[in-house]
Amino acid sequence: MRAAYLLRRLLYSAVAFGISVTIMFVILRLMPGDYITLYLEGIYVIAPPEVVQAYNHAYGIDRPLIDQYFSYFLGILQGDWGYSLSYSRPVLDVISEKLVWTLVILLPATILSIIAGIAIGAYSGWRRGSKADVALLNGMIFLRAIPSYWLALMILLVFAFYLGLFPLGGYVSLSALDTGIDPLDVLNHAALPIFTLFLFSVTGTYYLMRNSMLMTAGEDYIVTARAKGLDDMTILRRHALKNAMLPMVTRVALQCAGMLTGSIFVETIFSWPGIGMLTFEALQVRDLPLLQGILLMDTLIVIVANIGADMIYPFVDPRVEVGNDARA
Amino acid sequence: MRMDDPLLCVRGLKVGFPTADGVVKASNIVDLTIRAGETLALLGETGSGKTVLGMAILRLLQPNTRIEGEILYRGRDLLSLPQEEMQKVRGREIAVVLQNSGTSLNPVLRVGDQIAEAITLHRGLKGAEAEAAAVELLDQVRITDPARMAREYPHRFSGGMRERALIALALACNPSFLIADEPTRGLDAVTKREILNLFSEVNRGRSVLFITHDIEAAASLAARVAVMYAGEIIEIGPVDAVLSSPAHPYTRGLLESLPAKGMRPIPGSAPSLIAPPPGCRFFPRCSCGAGRCEIEHPGLVEVGPGHYARCMLYD
Amino acid sequence: MPGRNTALYLSLGVVLAYCAVALSAPVIAPFDPFVISGPPLAPPDATHLLGTNDLSQDIFSRLIWGTRATMVLGFLGAVVSVVMGTAVGIVAGYYGGRVDEAVMRFLDVMMTIPFFPLLLVLTIFFRPGIYVTAVIMGLLGGLGSVRIIRSQVLSLAVADFVVGTKALGARDGYIMARHILPNVLPLVGVKFVTSAQHFMLVGIGLGFLGMGDPNVVDWGQMIERASKNGGIVLGLWWWLIPPGLAVTVISLALAWFAYACEERINPRFQVMRV
Repeated sequence: MRAAYLLRRLLYSAVAFGISVTIMFVILRLMPGDYITLYLEGIYVIAPPEVVQAYNHAYGIDRPLIDQYFSYFLGILQGDWGYSLSYSRPVLDVISEKLVWTLVILLPATILSIIAGIAIGAYSGWRRGSKADVALLNGMIFLRAIPSYWLALMILLVFAFYLGLFPLGGYVSLSALDTGIDPLDVLNHAALPIFTLFLFSVTGTYYLMRNSMLMTAGEDYIVTARAKGLDDMTILRRHALKNAMLPMVTRVALQCAGMLTGSIFVETIFSWPGIGMLTFEALQVRDLPLLQGILLMDTLIVIVANIGADMIYPFVDPRVEVGNDARA
Repeated sequence: MRMDDPLLCVRGLKVGFPTADGVVKASNIVDLTIRAGETLALLGETGSGKTVLGMAILRLLQPNTRIEGEILYRGRDLLSLPQEEMQKVRGREIAVVLQNSGTSLNPVLRVGDQIAEAITLHRGLKGAEAEAAAVELLDQVRITDPARMAREYPHRFSGGMRERALIALALACNPSFLIADEPTRGLDAVTKREILNLFSEVNRGRSVLFITHDIEAAASLAARVAVMYAGEIIEIGPVDAVLSSPAHPYTRGLLESLPAKGMRPIPGSAPSLIAPPPGCRFFPRCSCGAGRCEIEHPGLVEVGPGHYARCMLYD
Repeated sequence: MPGRNTALYLSLGVVLAYCAVALSAPVIAPFDPFVISGPPLAPPDATHLLGTNDLSQDIFSRLIWGTRATMVLGFLGAVVSVVMGTAVGIVAGYYGGRVDEAVMRFLDVMMTIPFFPLLLVLTIFFRPGIYVTAVIMGLLGGLGSVRIIRSQVLSLAVADFVVGTKALGARDGYIMARHILPNVLPLVGVKFVTSAQHFMLVGIGLGFLGMGDPNVVDWGQMIERASKNGGIVLGLWWWLIPPGLAVTVISLALAWFAYACEERINPRFQVMRV
């Protein structure tokens, strides 16, 4: 039963991925002008025809469209995601490298935001209407409404520029050229980006947890627990929390999915060489193969994250058995 | 305390829920006594205030509820107890079997663990001992293969089994007083009878407040019955007296609406509890109301030995 | 709770104020936003309330003119998003069956492609102006609201009054417009406000990344230019901060407004069974 479901899910995701690839191909090829010309316009104002032709040939643009599609599609499956115009390296290589650096700041931020979001969201929802709840809720609405790029900018300005507590950007100091990469140094540079990313994601987790807790708090089994004579905090910990956390699984999946969106601003402002920064650079020079690859990577992450959440969910919620699309 | 002093004595209980449209007066000056070992059935339709009364005794209502009056248990006023003291009463002295067995058990915890929790809390047993005690309780409520079922989750239990589990949970610490809120609602006739039998068996010698809308269930289990309407007790007395010679027109109407007796419903509907009528609350639907009934609010009047009714007919 | 109403009116006031500024920009801005009007990178003074930028343009005027782009991005995008989401949601939820299935499957696939990266790629290729950008954002973003609207429509479609109207012989289009639409309007309204907020932030974010429309004054581009020209290192706070502050304030106002409305629509009271 489980194997069949897993297979079905994988197949479905594969189809979704395939369609995404096709859509991207369509969007990017069937357009006025082509990306080679676009890119070359950034280097030369008017590209000499021989250069254009050379590029076109190297990138296979002069072949029939169907040909291009199939070779593109097959290439994707084999790990050939194209060739970056600006890096002169295979796209997948470039992306993988930078992805690691993004994870360096993203993972700690995500873990911290989930823990914090769950803790304060649960408390807020449990003690709804209390001073703490009202203050927290208003604070979170406020925080969430601030544009991410501006928040990052302000944090940089205040903590790095005016207060001088943290470096202005980059991931290592210049001294790394001599002494090699020192983890503490990297940590020092990563501190503000992690903090900023944390602030972005904690609001979403907080909301979700609070809402979830509001619903859980009104359930009958909570009354049962009170009727047993348990005290408030025990009920929160042992009964309410576990139930309210169930939607968190989906939340984590979504957060992985939004990885790129979240990191692009932070990395650009803090000059952190991850995938977000890569995207920014690629946008500046119009390196379409690279952008395409990044978009594909993001889609892949979304799909994997969703499957992961579906797989994990039955393990946390005893009511759901694998094969049941009963996920809330 | 003398032997026949009441175990529980509710005096002048008024419960109000503040809402956007006004305060819903769910309970209005309720006076009730229950003696040791006695089963009192609280009869009424939905909205009559019977569940509110049950919940109020254990102070399980919403925090912003307004409660006035006294609820004396063994002489102590429960409404004035601090939280920690109240927590000691809950589960240990007074236990409740909640309505809606489908949602009253925590879906992500094993049934055995939920029962063991109460045992650990009040009886001091821990770990394996508590688990064993839980299994024994499940056995007492006649759940087959109790050891295995204790390790299962609530969604694996059928309706009847869940009801039994809730009863087991309530009895885990051998309380002196049990409040049972509609334990047979939603069950089929056969299961209903089984549960009722089980109920009377395990509660021998215990005081029970049996809240229900099912007249037959009340008749089979209770010694005394109180009928509630629109937040008030409108008739109370020994079960035979009330059910065979009902004094209040509402009670009479209730009995006549039974399938066995002709299934004639009482015309009209219950009044709004935000702005209840000034006189007798049943007056708008009463077939024998007089002018006085509309203006004056009747008190409980004795109509037989231990039998009282709230009606102008007897005043 | 007095707090809720004040939040509602205050936030509405702010939004209206921004609209007023946007509409009256030509009148209230002291300078033309593209014209050289003084020394470059000058700090604030009497004539240039917020100083000038690297191209000697008056920042204050640019700030005022930038309100227009923000409003267009937000509200046009929200209109497109809501119209599309509602139309598709109602059709899918009302007809159910195969139509619904098809729509859901389509959504499932489209939703795996992340909104923002796709938007980026489209923007870099098309280099659209703000109007087209707003429309694209609306189309992509509208997909997200389809689900919510559809689930409400699903329960409405089987409601008695709808079935009854059908039995009277009313045409589907009529039912959808006259009976279903009004009932989803509250939901749609809240979605409109939150979408507007979202699109404003995203649209300006695009400007920040250099993907904006160069013919238009846009707060995102202002911030981008400020940071590119040493705004951080040189401490040009009068250039760097006001645009961001402007976005933040309107974003906050819309968020508050949506929250206040939501609280009204959702009855949070738990009914006690008596």
